[in-house]
Amino acid sequence: MIKTLRLFLLPLTVSLLACAVARAADLPALFAERAKSVVAVEFFTESELDRRPSITAAFVADVDGTLVLPRAAINTFLPPSKLKDFRVYLPGRPVSDYAQGEYLGQDPVSGWHFVRVEAKLRASLVPVTAFTPASSASEPAIGEEFWGIGLRGKDEDFKPYFMAGRVSHLQQMPERTVVAQTEIAAPGLPVFSRDGVFAGVAVGGFGQSFIQYSRNERGQSVMLVNPEESSVFQIAADVTPWLTRIPASPSGRPIAWLGVYGLQPMDPEVATFLKLDQQSGCVVSEVLEGSPAEVAGVKNRDIILALDGQPLPRFKPDRVVVGFVDRDISMRKPGETVTLTVLRGSERLELKSTLVEQPKLLREADRTYFERIGFTAREFVYGDGIMRRVKLAGRKGVIANFVKNNSPAGTAGLQPEDWIQEVDGTEVKTYAEAVAKLAAIEADTARNEFVLLTSRNGETSVLRVKLK
Amino acid sequence: MKDSLLPSITRKLLLCSVVFLTWSAVAEAGVSRGFNHLLDAVVRIDVREESFESGARRFSAGIGSGVIVSADGLILTNAHVASPRSVELSVTLASLERVNATLVGWDHWTDLALLRIDLAEVKRRGLTFTHADFANSDKLSPGQSVYAVGTPHGLTRTVTRGIISNNRRYFADNRGVKGYETGLFNTWLQTDAAINPGNSGGPLVDEKGRVVGINSRGYLGADNLAFAIPANIAKRVVAGLTAEGAITRSYVGIVPGALLDLEGFYALKQNTGLLINSVDPGSPAAKVGLRGGDIVLSINGTPVDGRFPEQLPPILNIIASLPVGSSVKLVVKRGEQTNTSVVVTEKLESRQGEEWAFEKWGLTVRKVSRAYARENQLDDDTGLLVIGVQPGFPAAVAGVGRGDIITKINRERVASLELAKTMHAAFVAKPAPTLLETETDRRVSLYILKP
Repeated sequence: MIKTLRLFLLPLTVSLLACAVARAADLPALFAERAKSVVAVEFFTESELDRRPSITAAFVADVDGTLVLPRAAINTFLPPSKLKDFRVYLPGRPVSDYAQGEYLGQDPVSGWHFVRVEAKLRASLVPVTAFTPASSASEPAIGEEFWGIGLRGKDEDFKPYFMAGRVSHLQQMPERTVVAQTEIAAPGLPVFSRDGVFAGVAVGGFGQSFIQYSRNERGQSVMLVNPEESSVFQIAADVTPWLTRIPASPSGRPIAWLGVYGLQPMDPEVATFLKLDQQSGCVVSEVLEGSPAEVAGVKNRDIILALDGQPLPRFKPDRVVVGFVDRDISMRKPGETVTLTVLRGSERLELKSTLVEQPKLLREADRTYFERIGFTAREFVYGDGIMRRVKLAGRKGVIANFVKNNSPAGTAGLQPEDWIQEVDGTEVKTYAEAVAKLAAIEADTARNEFVLLTSRNGETSVLRVKLK
Repeated sequence: MKDSLLPSITRKLLLCSVVFLTWSAVAEAGVSRGFNHLLDAVVRIDVREESFESGARRFSAGIGSGVIVSADGLILTNAHVASPRSVELSVTLASLERVNATLVGWDHWTDLALLRIDLAEVKRRGLTFTHADFANSDKLSPGQSVYAVGTPHGLTRTVTRGIISNNRRYFADNRGVKGYETGLFNTWLQTDAAINPGNSGGPLVDEKGRVVGINSRGYLGADNLAFAIPANIAKRVVAGLTAEGAITRSYVGIVPGALLDLEGFYALKQNTGLLINSVDPGSPAAKVGLRGGDIVLSINGTPVDGRFPEQLPPILNIIASLPVGSSVKLVVKRGEQTNTSVVVTEKLESRQGEEWAFEKWGLTVRKVSRAYARENQLDDDTGLLVIGVQPGFPAAVAGVGRGDIITKINRERVASLELAKTMHAAFVAKPAPTLLETETDRRVSLYILKP
């Protein structure tokens, strides 16, 4: 209700001065101008049985109509080909009046998804970079006030509204991140200083702890997450370089790969015990088969202390160091070399590793839906092997990606993520082989039944699929 | 005051009716000499046992039933009543005298345990008891009257009546007996005689008072569906436990599935073959290349028929009863081909390892067993699974949590529980920061336990 009341305070006049740093300008004018750098994006996720709409807020990155959607807007496991019909809405404009967008892919560093809007809308948009001062802004100070924009629902024409809050504290995670006193912007939307300077991008996923009391229960601790508004933002100086990281293709490639799995932070007590003083570090849980890390001679349980001779910085909480290493690797390109300083036992080693292109990702896996049998077969990719602890040599068959309820496959007991190793008693080596066999069964209307050998949690079982 | 009067009267009536039923049941049994004799052999068992779930050693008490099966005071009961975790076992005889007992051995696979009564005490106090006789449980037929005797909910010496509902029930439970596996190698007697908590370990008897089974469990949430271990299996287990204190079984790592109507698909003759649903990774069967979908036609020359679930335990028992290290000849059909594989058996182990409490660390653990390691795709059976941490103690303060597997202590691989005990003893003697390496869900973490 409060938010709705605030909307009435908005003036209808629009400042024509697109001055980046408008010192004296009043907030309503600043707000109206900066609202042009935000849009609402709707898209549809196509599945075997239906199409589901999703709506997210996005901001304008450049004059070419490039829009940035937050990481959480799109499930990373979804193949880009399943994302359909991107629609871009201007806040406050009738929703019947939208423009088409094209999905450009996800950047591995920022996690941002990029969408390009068709030309007709571009003139109405102002990129956030238009609000950047000539000289670099200083770091936000405690107590300093910032404000941002939220968007109402589709039924209210995504009308923009104003939010503001003061800096409560600043943290490195590893991007410098401001936590404000109150909600300051919709996740994924820009935040501005009192003067209207672009100060950062709000991030979602942060919750607040509360104790919930009720008539029957004693105090129960709960965490509440506001999915529509966030009080946390990453500061502009750290995220502005990402604005130009527009993927060359929807796959998001090239993506550099080192091949270390399950990085865990080393806690300071452990560092002291290992006589590493104030050194920060990351434990490598597993070195993946065939990876650059394996080639370089990294071993399970090595502790990474430095990258290219630069000691890993110390963060609070400790686990941020994992994000730091991941980001550092993802900023590089396949073919680049990175020198890892690792601690093995009491030995310190320098290992040179040449990064390669990341193996095929889940979202890039081929899939085929067999309507009559009632499931989708998905190619077995590198990640499936990791999840199931299968050596490269043992990789075969396909994964059941989707199983239709009450279909022959569903009735036989097939479940999503089951690993199909044999069809009709013969091993299926490749995806193509499996699809050919299943397609033949699907097409053979005289068939009464067939048998699958599937594996779930390392245990196989024989499933009998009755087609009639 | 008036309010509370009525319920108490009702309760008395209820108690009367229970007593009446008990009496009539015995009356119908012909009040045979045999039956009375049996009643004198049934005991109540009070158990105090340790548990390790909370980050410290804790004790709890329980009640079960048992039956004396020999003149020298061997008592048969359930493995989920008396186990190596029991620290105090006392037995109440039919004469209502209480005597101590010790555990001779247990076998969770059949949910049986054997106790020995403190004969010296019996003699000193001049107590007497009788022992029950076994009947041939293979000769039971569904519909036949049976009686359950025991201590349901602590109500000592309760007799309930029912019939044999099924004499060959298949019922396997991977965590059925205090987290241990049960029911893989035996079928069960199913009865509708009322079996309640506390009946466990008591005998199921025929009209002549001969033991046909040992009552074990009821089906949760159902009425009159109870299970007992057949006497013929109990007899073998008693012999084994008396001789060696444990039942040793052979293992090859085959997980069978009922063939049901798949014979046509596998082009098998009627009533032949055991379907292998899964082969445990790293097991003897896996080493010779057997895999899910294979059909075992014969074991050591004996043809097998695993069409229905209740046919599976006897087949598995053929392998289990072989001496550890035996070679088993399996004729296996895969697709069109029939091959012979020779598998060398290993000792069957539970997935549940030994448990222990490290009091000063505020940490309770369970040894990772070979079976647990296989099931969870761990490299080997190194390590201790954390099953409890005590808030405020070094382990909890460092951040160790339930489900973590401690793989190294002060950089030494935890191959055995003994090593950890030594480390803990050193910590108790001279407290110093101790480095733990743990693995959770394949993620390796390091923690320091601070004094």
